[in-house]
Amino acid sequence: MLTQQKRIRQAKKRHTRYRVQWSAYGYLSPALVTIAVLSVIPTLLTFAVAFTNSSAIHFTNPSFVGLKNFAALFNMNDPLAQVFIPTFIWTVVFAFVTTALNYFVGLFLAVLLNNKNMRETRLYRAILIIPWAVPALISTLIWQGLLNQSYGQVNAVLHMVGIPAIPWLISPLWARVSIILVNLWLSFPFMMTVCLGGLQAIPGEWYEAASIDGATFWQRFRYITLPSIWKISLPLVIPSFAFQFNNFNAVYLLTGGGPARNSTQFAGYTDILASAAYKMTLDFNRYDLAATIAVVLFVLVGFFSWINMRATGAFREAD
Amino acid sequence: MPQFKHRLSVSEWVTLWLSRVVIWVAIILVIVPMLYVVTASFNPSQAYFSSSLIPSHPSLANYRALFAQGQFLVWLKNSSIVALSLGLGQLVITSTAAYAFSRMRFYGRKNGIMILLILQMFPNFLTISVIYYGLAQVGLLDNLWVYILVQLGGSAFNIWLLKNYFDTVPRELDEAAIMDGAGHRQIFWKIVLPLARPMLMVIFFFTLIGSFSEYILAGTIIQSASNYTLGLGLYSLISGEFAKNWGEFSAAALLSAAPLTIGFGIINKWIASGLVAGSVKG
Repeated sequence: MLTQQKRIRQAKKRHTRYRVQWSAYGYLSPALVTIAVLSVIPTLLTFAVAFTNSSAIHFTNPSFVGLKNFAALFNMNDPLAQVFIPTFIWTVVFAFVTTALNYFVGLFLAVLLNNKNMRETRLYRAILIIPWAVPALISTLIWQGLLNQSYGQVNAVLHMVGIPAIPWLISPLWARVSIILVNLWLSFPFMMTVCLGGLQAIPGEWYEAASIDGATFWQRFRYITLPSIWKISLPLVIPSFAFQFNNFNAVYLLTGGGPARNSTQFAGYTDILASAAYKMTLDFNRYDLAATIAVVLFVLVGFFSWINMRATGAFREAD
Repeated sequence: MPQFKHRLSVSEWVTLWLSRVVIWVAIILVIVPMLYVVTASFNPSQAYFSSSLIPSHPSLANYRALFAQGQFLVWLKNSSIVALSLGLGQLVITSTAAYAFSRMRFYGRKNGIMILLILQMFPNFLTISVIYYGLAQVGLLDNLWVYILVQLGGSAFNIWLLKNYFDTVPRELDEAAIMDGAGHRQIFWKIVLPLARPMLMVIFFFTLIGSFSEYILAGTIIQSASNYTLGLGLYSLISGEFAKNWGEFSAAALLSAAPLTIGFGIINKWIASGLVAGSVKG
């Protein structure tokens, strides 16, 4: 017994004598090399390209142009700014509205499901989670078909109840409504699951105590449920906002950014900055402008992440 | 504590049934769109769309057309290659790094994951302009393997997840192995990896599922139809001649979504049942 303990202690000593284990870098190298080559270097190059005039015309001989691209995007007299600024505003509105709507619908359904008198709640939960399970790319494309103005089933159903066809993906306003509603369909199950987890973590005694004190249903919701849920779900709400901010698939796969603006072809009415950058690259070969938009997005994402970490202290236990 | 049946008060009863009605409406809104896709897939392509959920002339014509042209199988093959390569690659990259962070001493251990997590808050698809510009310069566009390579970066989030999991594997096992003369390689292969199998499965499947929904890099890099992934193929079906292709699109969407949806269901149940969190015992 004694000798065994001694042996363990010796083994531990042998183990700890080498303060730095150089072989660790061998284990780390696949991750570090791929992250450096595929994330860090492209990001640095993106910042560099944003200060050049790289495009199809200057494909092999781009030159440094300073802040010209940034000036073009932010100077209201420039035709590019007249696309960029509305696209930017729509991106912020979209991310904000869609995150808030997804969250509150998810929370609402979670509160309804978290009813101890509802015995079949597990079944409901399993069904309501389906949109989360279907790959978002496929379901978004499906919605593109269902919302087709002339042939789509959504208008066919509306026709049945006497509502005239709605130009879902064709008018600027309805296209924006469609994107937000389809995104709600895709995303509420995630929020619902998160909120249900939060609700189940609230001790039942709190509600009992509140009932004894004569608290109404609404008071219990306002003073017990909401604060507890908010604390648990906040670390997920802010990243979800940052994700929606760049939710390329939700926009591009549904409307392709359209309908097109009369004034310009660079971005349609529903384009967010990420899809505008994609079009700038692939359709117009303006790598300089795409990189400039990306830099703006990098700065914004960094800002949200900073707020997120300040607000939640997330990953503090990461070391 | 046993649950006793008690009589519901009027307000409880009203709340319960109002909740049920709202949930039923939500369920209809979730299910019916999916049912329309099933219906469309069994409706011959030329049939006009209707609000009916029962196909007017049910047939397998769409499925037959899908396989007759052979495109669908090409997309499926390409997407499978991409998904499996990324899943396996992610396992190698994540598990080695997570092991180092969990078990080894080196400069940068304390803040390493934190720094990686911050670096990766900038999604790498934002660099598509540089990726496209760079690949175009060296003539590497339209290559499936380049598409895979570009996405093969280590994921700080996965590393963090797996590192936390490795941390739950008792150190006593390592120490016993060290006494038997084992080095890090044996501890990694023989002790930590086998015990972390559930978490490795989760990372593998989430990478797999995620890769099927990737569009922006696929659209940037891949150009010719023979390299199309499922996402690009489905997009080309629906954005082309819409009315003509809706039936085929529905069939293809169902065939691709079904296995992934079922896989997600299994994995999700797994996570929910605590299999992953509590599966390790010394």
